[in-house]
Amino acid sequence: MRLRLSFLWAAVASVVGLVILLGFLLRIPQIDSLGQMLISLAVLLAAAALLLGLLNLLSAHWNKVSLQERGWPYSAILILALLVTFGLGVLFGPDYEVMLLLFNHVQLPVEASLMALLAVSLTVAGFRLLARKRDALSLIFLVVAVVVLLGATPWVIAGDSPRSVPFDYARNWLTQVWAAGGSRGILLGVALGAIATGLRVLVGSDRPFGD
Amino acid sequence: MISGGLASLVGVVVLVLFVGLVILYAVLGRRWPTVFRPIAGYEALGRAIERAVESGERVHLSLGTGTVTGAESAPALAGLTVLGRVAAATTMSDRPAVVTTADGAMMILAQDTLRSAYHRVGASDQYQATSARMLGPTPYSYVAGLPTLLSTEGVSVHMLIGSFGAEGALAADFGERQQKFVLAGTDDIQTQALLYVTAENALIGEEVFAGGAYLNVGSLHPASLRAQDAVRLLIIVVILIGTLVRTIMGLL
Repeated sequence: MRLRLSFLWAAVASVVGLVILLGFLLRIPQIDSLGQMLISLAVLLAAAALLLGLLNLLSAHWNKVSLQERGWPYSAILILALLVTFGLGVLFGPDYEVMLLLFNHVQLPVEASLMALLAVSLTVAGFRLLARKRDALSLIFLVVAVVVLLGATPWVIAGDSPRSVPFDYARNWLTQVWAAGGSRGILLGVALGAIATGLRVLVGSDRPFGD
Repeated sequence: MISGGLASLVGVVVLVLFVGLVILYAVLGRRWPTVFRPIAGYEALGRAIERAVESGERVHLSLGTGTVTGAESAPALAGLTVLGRVAAATTMSDRPAVVTTADGAMMILAQDTLRSAYHRVGASDQYQATSARMLGPTPYSYVAGLPTLLSTEGVSVHMLIGSFGAEGALAADFGERQQKFVLAGTDDIQTQALLYVTAENALIGEEVFAGGAYLNVGSLHPASLRAQDAVRLLIIVVILIGTLVRTIMGLL
């Protein structure tokens, strides 16, 4: 029975995938509108899944708090914050003053700080790369990164300073010739990989929805 | 410029060709097995998982910050294929693999993949719904949850196979700072450059999609790799011919 059900799920996934693919490729209005309807249904389901995701997150952290596992105070703070913001959002809506305050003064600064942290992390990782992989490729990677950075930094390229010309030229040459060519090659590989992955799901070889 | 109709026709032809090649190579693969070029990341992954199982530590897989309904779902689907294999390989451990996503629907797919993998190896009792979880619904809220997870849940293998933006670099860096085994791959080219710097084992280009073939998931995986190579070669030939024709036309 379980085996038959797994075939049924695979068949449903294949047919739905095929309808959307054909609608995209053949541009037949009937198939296209059916595909759009199926995509709308998927978006609706994804929204409902978000709620399930939150419940799952709550459950994972609740278990941590109740079993007093390592790091449980963080979980307790998370549960408290989640319940407060969720309750406020449901009761007063997303435009409520306190909700906006929480968003603008808590979430936004935290996410912006993480973005800023990225710049520091990358600089440190650049030095670590040299210590970890002492090969020609790593050296080329870092030299190119420094040259492009110098060419893009305002204090070097600003004004008509003659110092800026070689950096500007080197940056353009590296990004428009080497980087653009290389990235197109990589993009080709990525696109083919994505097609192969999609096709395997379509023919039921890969079943991300389980057996 | 080619018209929309012609582009669609080319799309259908390439797709049919691709499917035909996959079937052909799947049949040929029984007689002439595929020979893979070594990818250091996948080779080291097997050893890292063995070490994690022996020392009772956890394997973590991040499926990225993309959604199921978005165009960026393909690398996460490749990640789910790897998850099925890794989950089955870690059933000997006391601590099951843990999967994190930034999307509710992706979390459900991860749960189903884990459940199926455990069922296949007769370890259904090891399945826990909270082993697959959504850490946060936005890229940075997701990444903010990673360091605590890595440090408090005994993770020693930190895999990132999914769609990431710049936050992917932070996700990999958190693992490196805690001295975990880090394997990271994504479909975004700029993020791949960041991962090359931050992750010990970065997957470049289409390597992120090759996990199934390298981990021996099924016969269609190596066949699709060979089909990719054949279609790539064909596209390169077409590009070269186009460049040559255009150059000659320009000279005349």
